Amino acid sequence: MTSLLFKLTKCLFLDNFGIQNLSKSMIEQYIPVFLVLGFAVFFAVAVALSSGIFGPQRPTTEKLSTYESGMKPVGTTRERISVKYYLVAMFFIIFDLEVIFIYPWAVEFKRLFGEIGSPVFISMLIFLIVLELGYLYAYRKGGFKWD
Amino acid sequence: MGLEARLKSEGFITSTVDAVVAWARENSVWPMPMGISCCAIEMMASGDPRYDIARFGSEVMRFTPRQCDLMIVAGTVTYKMAHVVRKIYDQMPDPKWVIAMGACTSSGGMYRSYNVVQGIDQFLPVDIYLAGCPPRPDNLLNALMQIQNKIGKTKARDFQDKKLPDLTVL
Amino acid sequence: MNLRELIPQKLQEKFPQVKFKFVDYRGDLSVQFDKEHIINIGRFLKEDPELEFRLCEDVTAIDWAERKNRFTVVYHIFSMKHNFRLRLKVPLIGNEESDYDIDSVTVVWKGANWMERETYDMFGIKFNNHPDLRRMYMPEDFQYYPLRKDFPLMGIPGSLPLPKKE
Repeated sequence: MTSLLFKLTKCLFLDNFGIQNLSKSMIEQYIPVFLVLGFAVFFAVAVALSSGIFGPQRPTTEKLSTYESGMKPVGTTRERISVKYYLVAMFFIIFDLEVIFIYPWAVEFKRLFGEIGSPVFISMLIFLIVLELGYLYAYRKGGFKWD
Repeated sequence: MGLEARLKSEGFITSTVDAVVAWARENSVWPMPMGISCCAIEMMASGDPRYDIARFGSEVMRFTPRQCDLMIVAGTVTYKMAHVVRKIYDQMPDPKWVIAMGACTSSGGMYRSYNVVQGIDQFLPVDIYLAGCPPRPDNLLNALMQIQNKIGKTKARDFQDKKLPDLTVL
Repeated sequence: MNLRELIPQKLQEKFPQVKFKFVDYRGDLSVQFDKEHIINIGRFLKEDPELEFRLCEDVTAIDWAERKNRFTVVYHIFSMKHNFRLRLKVPLIGNEESDYDIDSVTVVWKGANWMERETYDMFGIKFNNHPDLRRMYMPEDFQYYPLRKDFPLMGIPGSLPLPKKE
C-alpha cells in the first residue's frame, strides 16, 4: 500500500514538474496569474467608469433611441428561439460525458489488458452498448432531425 | 456626470485638468466611418499600413455610433440618405466632431442634381471640409491632425451637462 | 440568312396587320410599332425557336417635350443564341396625362419588372397589369416625375425633405 502511494507521488511530482517545485503548493504557483487577471479586470472597469464620470452627460431623445443603422426601428426584439438548439445541447452533454468516461479507460487500456485480460474490454463494451441503446431510441424518435 | 466640466474657476488646477483631458481626447479619436461612396475607399486606404491611421490613435473604426467621437462622412449624400446620416450623428455621444470628406459632401461635388444634397452643412455641423475627388489618404490624415489641434484647444467647460428635454404629453 | 433581314421578314409575315418601321443605323436594328401589339410581338420574339430574344435588357422612355406624341417607350432585348440586340420603340399617342399608359411586358419577360418601375418613377408612364407598380428611387409620396423635360435640374425646392440642423 505505501509502496503504491510512494510510486504515485514520485510519478506526479518528479516526472511532470521537476524536483524544485516540491516546496511550493499548487496555489502559490498560480499567484502571478491571479495578479494579472485582477489587474486586467480592474483596468477595464476603471476605464469604463471613468469615462462615465468625467464625460459630459447630454442626453436627447434622438441620442437615446435604438440603433438600427439610421433607420426607424421596426418590430420587437422578442424573437422565439426554436427548441432544436436545446435538444442539440442536451444530446451533446450526454454523449460528451460518455466520451469523458472513455478517455481514462483508453489511457490505461494497454497496461490493464496486459494485467487483467479481456474483462477490461468487455466492461467498456457493455457500457457502450447501454449508451448506444439510448442513441438508437433518440434516432428512432426523430431527435436527430434538424427540422 | 461631467465632473471636470463643473470646475468653474480659471486656475492652475483646472487648466491642467483641461490640458490632460484634451490631450487624452485628441490622441484617441475613434472615427465613425460613414463610408457611403468612393471616398470610403480612400478612407479604407488611410487605414492600411502605408498611410497608417492607427498611429494617430484612430485604431478602431467602430461602425457603431455609440463608441465614436468623430464622424467621417465619405461619399455622396442623397436626400434619402441624409436622414440616415443625421440619425446616426444624433446617436453619437458628446463630444463629437464631423469631417466632410471629399467634394460631394462639401458642396455636392460633380453632382448638381435634384437628389444630391449640395453640401452636408445643410443638416450637420461640420468641422473640417476636405477637398478632393477623392482626397488622398494623406489629405485625410492632415484633416485628422487639424481635428486633433482643434480638440487640443477645447476646454472642459465647453461640454456642460444638459438635461433631457421634457417630453410634452399629448 | 442573317438576322437583320430575317427579323423584318418574320415580323411582317407573322403580323401582317401591324405597321412596322425598321431602321438599321450604324449596326443597331430598331423596330417601331404601335402600343397595342407590344405583348403579342414580345411573346413572338421571345418564343420563336429561330429568334429566341429571351433577355430583356432595358425598358426606358424618351420625352419628346413639345412634339405631337409626347413619350416613346423603348425596349432593348437581346438574343443570347445569336448574340444580337434589338430595339423596340413604341410611341404613346397623345399629349394628355391619361394617354401615358401601356401594357406591361412582365408577362413575357419577368426581368422587366423593376425596369418598368423605374420608367414609371422617372417619367410617369403607367404600365397596365404590372404586379407591383410603385416608385423605385424617389420617396413614395413624391409628386413629380424627375426625368420629364419640364422638371427643373435642381428639383422643386421643398419637395424632398431634409433633416433639420439644430
